[in-house]
Amino acid sequence: MLPFISVGLLGLLTLSIPVGIVLFLLGIGIDQFFSPFPLLRGLGSMVWSTSENAALIAIPFFVLLGEILVRSGIATRTYEALDRWVSWLPGGLVHANIATATMFSATSGSSVATAATVATVAMPQAEKLGYDQRLFSGAIAAGGTLGIMIPPSINLIVYGFLTQTSIPQLFLAGLIPGILLALSFMAIVAIICTIKPHLGGQRRTFPFTEMLKGLTALGPIIILFSIIIGSIYNGWATPTEAASVGVGGALVIAAMFGAISIPMITQAVIGTVKVTSMIMLVVIGASFLNFTLSAAGLSNELSQFLEGLGLSPFWMLLVIVLMYIVLGFFIETLSLMVITIPIVVPIIISLGFDPIWFGILMIVLIEMALITPPVGLNLYVVQAARKGGSMGDVMVGAIPFVIAMLAMVAALIAFPDIALFLPETLR
Amino acid sequence: MAERFLQRLRLINRTVAIAVGLMFLICAGLVLVDIVLRRLGSSLGGTDEISGYVMAIGTAWGMAFALLELSHVRIDFLRSNVSTKSRAIFDLLSMFALAATVSIIAIQCWPVVATTLKNGSHANTPLETPLALVQLPWFAGWVWFSIMSWFTFMAGIVMVWNGQFKTSETFIGVFPEVEKS
Repeated sequence: MLPFISVGLLGLLTLSIPVGIVLFLLGIGIDQFFSPFPLLRGLGSMVWSTSENAALIAIPFFVLLGEILVRSGIATRTYEALDRWVSWLPGGLVHANIATATMFSATSGSSVATAATVATVAMPQAEKLGYDQRLFSGAIAAGGTLGIMIPPSINLIVYGFLTQTSIPQLFLAGLIPGILLALSFMAIVAIICTIKPHLGGQRRTFPFTEMLKGLTALGPIIILFSIIIGSIYNGWATPTEAASVGVGGALVIAAMFGAISIPMITQAVIGTVKVTSMIMLVVIGASFLNFTLSAAGLSNELSQFLEGLGLSPFWMLLVIVLMYIVLGFFIETLSLMVITIPIVVPIIISLGFDPIWFGILMIVLIEMALITPPVGLNLYVVQAARKGGSMGDVMVGAIPFVIAMLAMVAALIAFPDIALFLPETLR
Repeated sequence: MAERFLQRLRLINRTVAIAVGLMFLICAGLVLVDIVLRRLGSSLGGTDEISGYVMAIGTAWGMAFALLELSHVRIDFLRSNVSTKSRAIFDLLSMFALAATVSIIAIQCWPVVATTLKNGSHANTPLETPLALVQLPWFAGWVWFSIMSWFTFMAGIVMVWNGQFKTSETFIGVFPEVEKS
């Protein structure tokens, strides 16, 4: 069965059949060839029970929240405010790119949306102020990836759903690694720009009063983040309910900036439906595959396979990490996550690793997939926001940040507490 | 002709998408009101259950829109490296796989609804929702998705047959990565 799914998966994906459909087809294949009882009859109730799961409505809510916020015009204000606070560092405005992306990640559940938002406001500045385009755009692509790590995160919701782990715990676990990644991105930029100052453009300082004034622009986002995350940990709301609070908050912010109109709301809801349906086809497909795999006895076969390999848990983990890095070159993030969860997570658990910790490790790995060519969505998003220049610039600019992510992977393996400290303390 | 047909389908599904999106928005409002009421010591009750139904019906009906907007993710590292004609073959094959699979799903969803109808089942919740009320629209969404995918597949064949590879790619191709989310 293992060779069947591995070869089937790669073969069907290579034929460019939609990822969600590939998962269904594999599930149907498992039913036909490996299952002692007919599983296809369970398909209908699988589809029903997966799609009517109230936990998953957090997905359209968080997407909607992002769609509204992006159209509210708050990104420009945030960027200007953060520029005043961080542009004295070696690297100047590049730090504002990372900081803005971090702030947006704290309200948006999606990396692509984060990168797209920051790129639209930041790219024009790069040309005006004479920055090195490579580092500048690489920083946006990398900063944007934080969207799926810093809570709220759509990918963590999907992970929690498919692996039956607690979504609030996953959100908590992502917070410190997310902030550490943001800081390490900024440190790398500072180091590079100290060695080669011409890459960083002009460093600028602002009077303290200007900096304070900037804080008012940051207020709405900070309050929104505190409400979303705070309401979950106060026990006022589930993640789903917190997402609806977020939608309400985003509407208030948009109204404050006079951005609400019928076309704006129409665009926001249409975008939401498009993204949600795309995600749900993949999620429902993965649930069905999960169901057929466990019914057909994958876990037995896996444990035999693992015993046969005779690798220690640590080496097995390294093999898995390596697999993600390689697959990450070719497969888009959510798909990469969803197609591997049914096979990899049972292995991880049987090796004695913590599923919450692994969720965070997996997020770093798929963040890397977002900025490694040839298939790295954020690279394309940033390139699309530039006027001219080659795609290669963004790819080269992203390399330092890939190194930071690799360091983060090593750190998480060496010190699992980076992820587990918060969830264990606040349990 | 095939092009105009698909443009019309896009328009229809856009309207469906707006309706679904507004349903999500209203549902968010409902959940929000419930949280506030709960703080005040009261509750609407059953928002969880309603959210679930909204999700099931909304995603089923949104699938066809995502299809026509080329939003369902496809991995195209092989496809993007071949000639325009071969790309069209990839696209038709993938549309056929989609249409066939979605039809299997829709057919398999029917027994769920049929059992509900036969037993007159109600949800085992405080709302005691008659399940037929929510499962019928959900099932109809999957049937709609399957019909739309066969229509798209057939229109795609017509376009490729006529040699309109550029046009076919805008309807059954892979979206530029940028627009995905």
